[in-house]
Amino acid sequence: MTNWLERGFGFAVPVLIAMVVSALVLIAIGESPIDTFSLMATEAFGSPRRIASTLSASTPLLFTAIATAICFRTGVFNVGVDGAFLIGGLAAVVMGFSLPAGLGWALIPICIGVAALFGAAWLFIPGWLLAKLEVDEVVSTLMLNFIAMAITGYLVNGPFLSATSGNNVTPTVHEAAQLDRLMPPATLHGGFLIGLALLLAYAFWTRRTPTGLEGAWVGLNKRFARAVGVSVPNTIILVMVLSGVIAGIGGASHGMGQLYRFTDGFSAGYGFTGMAVALLGRNTPLGILIGAVLFGALASAGTTIQLFSDIPLDLVNIIQGIVMIFAVVELGRITFRRRARA
Amino acid sequence: MIEQVLASGVILTTPILLAAIGGLVNRQAGIVNIALEGKMLIGAFVAVVVSSMTGSWLIASLAAALVGLVVGYVFSLTITRLGANMIIAGLGLNVLAGGAIGFIMSIAYRSTGTLRLPDVALLPAVLPESVTAVPLVGPMLANLDPLTIFAVLSIAALPFLLRATRFGLWIRATGNAAMVVRSVGINPKLVQEASTAFAGFFAGIAGAQLALASIGIFNEGLTAGRGFIALAAFYFARDRPWQTAAACLLFGLLDAAQIRMQTVGLPPRLIGALPYLMVLVALIITQIRSLRRAQ
Repeated sequence: MTNWLERGFGFAVPVLIAMVVSALVLIAIGESPIDTFSLMATEAFGSPRRIASTLSASTPLLFTAIATAICFRTGVFNVGVDGAFLIGGLAAVVMGFSLPAGLGWALIPICIGVAALFGAAWLFIPGWLLAKLEVDEVVSTLMLNFIAMAITGYLVNGPFLSATSGNNVTPTVHEAAQLDRLMPPATLHGGFLIGLALLLAYAFWTRRTPTGLEGAWVGLNKRFARAVGVSVPNTIILVMVLSGVIAGIGGASHGMGQLYRFTDGFSAGYGFTGMAVALLGRNTPLGILIGAVLFGALASAGTTIQLFSDIPLDLVNIIQGIVMIFAVVELGRITFRRRARA
Repeated sequence: MIEQVLASGVILTTPILLAAIGGLVNRQAGIVNIALEGKMLIGAFVAVVVSSMTGSWLIASLAAALVGLVVGYVFSLTITRLGANMIIAGLGLNVLAGGAIGFIMSIAYRSTGTLRLPDVALLPAVLPESVTAVPLVGPMLANLDPLTIFAVLSIAALPFLLRATRFGLWIRATGNAAMVVRSVGINPKLVQEASTAFAGFFAGIAGAQLALASIGIFNEGLTAGRGFIALAAFYFARDRPWQTAAACLLFGLLDAAQIRMQTVGLPPRLIGALPYLMVLVALIITQIRSLRRAQ
């Protein structure tokens, strides 16, 4: 079922459908799809600086996609990565400006560690509720997203509000807690490397560790997993906590590498775009990497293309929405139906 | 002050209630509609555009409902015919709806974020101005718009429609035992598609009420999570019509009181999280109860 060809199709078909639809939309408004797509490709990958900003835009998506994939492959429909990203991001930033600057480089692991801890605790809640009480994880994580938004929104406008820079932002983190920019002046930062490292760790975990394998079993067939002695509740809690850790570190990376502070609207729907990436990549490490770069490219090219032409940035959301819908469509059914008709 | 909270609370309840009516019927047929938010936004946009073109709130509301119905139907096909996961597809539709509306706004109206159009007909007040004099509920009665009355009538008719009509039976049977429906010669997929179209219809009207009740200006953030509040309401009430209406009223009043509670020192952002927290707690309590019963 998981051969290369099918994965390739699983990736290509939603992207192609989205491209066809956006091409039609572009024709409808009198723009040339070929010109637009090639302009977008140039804007996303045309020079080292542009590649850097594409990778910079894909950095948060790497984290949220891994955090989503780790649950989805286990059959746990965790849609709460966005909330854990917010909670982790705020925790890291608060540590980053409130701890003494004298800690120096040690600030970075401390901030990231605290973010991971908060993210883990946040998603432990729905994980435990699902494992012990069978509380539907889709609803609980969806609700927790809104609660995370409210809590962080309150904190950033209240207790952690910056005294100097107006509304909705915290103070900036100490310089020692900032992740290095890899290719200045582009915003690509050390968080991207952390994301790649986590992707490798995810690849190793899924293929080479007992718990990773057990997760896949639970996702494919719960009864089989139970029969061979896997604890389904423990596996569920484990993947939720791991998801929280990764999402939390993602928030830390965004706060300490990209913005240097926490703001209202800290996550531009990264949790949801990450979901599209994970689905598109069929939860595989390579698929996630390609998907994250693709959506990063869309975001970074979309912004510049709006400046140079009349094409609104909203085209990116249209593409993302279509990709999300068609990434979960069962391709087997489409081909089967076609054959049946023929 | 209570009068004011009551008046604005009822107005704020209507869009949640309308969306929840569709959502609960949809869920009784076995489909969790995550895309109510997106369809409300579409409804609001269509309502403002059509109201400006025709000058009629009625045509605008009908247009919003029809567009919602069509979007709901087409969307349901990805779930019933193509086997898409309803949660992810729903979230995808929300993203797509926001993108499509933003795109149309910048291409057709050269505006981003907010759309002001001339001559937008707002919802009229149903009762004469003089009812304001009635104690306590006066301002609320004076504010009553036709769509609020439509929502109340719909929720009142819903228990009967679900319990005593053929369609209601099909819907409930589809959600509980699709095999049974198939055995009497009805395709459960058709029932699910019809119920999703129904949910789209009501979400469209909900959007129209939201846009035309007081301001008549469309904004990309107009729905502000109300589709999810509606979801929270029927989850909280476990798909029972009257209880759903009560939950909607509670959330609507909470929304209206939010601004006033600020003066007492309660942060509005935290109060805004209450509906979601309540659903979480309600889910936990329900599960504990049913697990105890099973023991």
